[in-house]
Amino acid sequence: MTYLIRLAIVTLLMAATAVSPQSGDKGPVFTNDGSLVLPSGFRSWVFIGGPITPNGLNDGGAPFPEFHSVYIERENLRYYQKNGKFPEGTVLVKELSLAQVGEHPDGSLDSASGRGYFPSTLNGLDVMVKDSKRYSKTNDWGFFTFGHHAEPYESAAKESAQCAYCHIANVAKTDMVWVQYYPLLKSKID
Amino acid sequence: MRKILLVVILGLGVAAASSLSRYSNPVAADSSQTTAVFDSDGKMKLPVGYRRWVFIGAPLTPNALNNGKANFPEYHHVYVEQKNLDAYLKTGAFPEGTVIVKELTRVLNPTFPDGSRTEPSGRGYFNGEYNGMDVTVKDSKRFAATNGWGFFNFGHHPLPYAESAKEASAAECASCHIAFVAKTDMTWVQFYPILRDGDKTK
Repeated sequence: MTYLIRLAIVTLLMAATAVSPQSGDKGPVFTNDGSLVLPSGFRSWVFIGGPITPNGLNDGGAPFPEFHSVYIERENLRYYQKNGKFPEGTVLVKELSLAQVGEHPDGSLDSASGRGYFPSTLNGLDVMVKDSKRYSKTNDWGFFTFGHHAEPYESAAKESAQCAYCHIANVAKTDMVWVQYYPLLKSKID
Repeated sequence: MRKILLVVILGLGVAAASSLSRYSNPVAADSSQTTAVFDSDGKMKLPVGYRRWVFIGAPLTPNALNNGKANFPEYHHVYVEQKNLDAYLKTGAFPEGTVIVKELTRVLNPTFPDGSRTEPSGRGYFNGEYNGMDVTVKDSKRFAATNGWGFFNFGHHPLPYAESAKEASAAECASCHIAFVAKTDMTWVQFYPILRDGDKTK
């Protein structure tokens, strides 16, 4: 009988440790030194928009090459739509992908559906985390880059000092987010 | 008694493990389920909830690069349900009942002749308003004449979209998919990094 109880405990412990902590599903996860752990599962979050800054229109080197696909968890999106700001713990993920190389000088490609830009390989990940205590110096948001290159991305990232100033200069009034590019943030639709 | 207890304990463990690891263990697609709903005339009803599906990519064909009038103006946001994506990644084919939604958005206020504008992140294109929806549904019996997929257009215009849509003629949609992507289950997988390369974060 005792071995059954022991087995029960071991079995439940194994189940509980089946998933290691990752940023995302339940908010951000940090390492002991304050680095952010690479979010997971974000491609199943709500996609809110995909600006594209092609290298071909940015002297061959866009700061964020090239498609920016932005994801947010549904509950945080709903909160924003209702309150006009994001709740504490919100994680915003921007995943980059390169555009397929086209024959036109601007980098665009002729395809069956027309001339334009079409995603090729995934090319990096930037993340914002809202935490008004941890990031009080940068308007309540921390910024992280997990590399601008093909997968695999860095497994953890230190807070980046390069990002906040541009958000503060341009979008401080909309909770540090470029809501003007994301139709889902501007509307109340599901 | 011991045997029963043992079974119960192991069962609990398995249940707990599977509920905790739902993100790392994709469930097999249930091909008997589809989100496609048809009325008695065979018209498809406007899908709902698709913005919560998995986004797989956003080709962009700006009007300004297409003589002022792109066939699909202008961003194409494409969504598929998780279970159908998982099945595709496993088998290379979408299960019966798969619905793929392509929602269009315009580009935001162009300032250059090519339709682009300059923002702090660089010169490029940014999402404007929603502008329409096209849908494909896999049903090898219903749509046998067009390689197992039916095509539906709910309008290329701002919200609200049409409440329902009849199947588009083969000339409108299927012919182009048959000509170019018949070998990849009628889908332009080359434009969608996840479909082409898999989801390495899972």
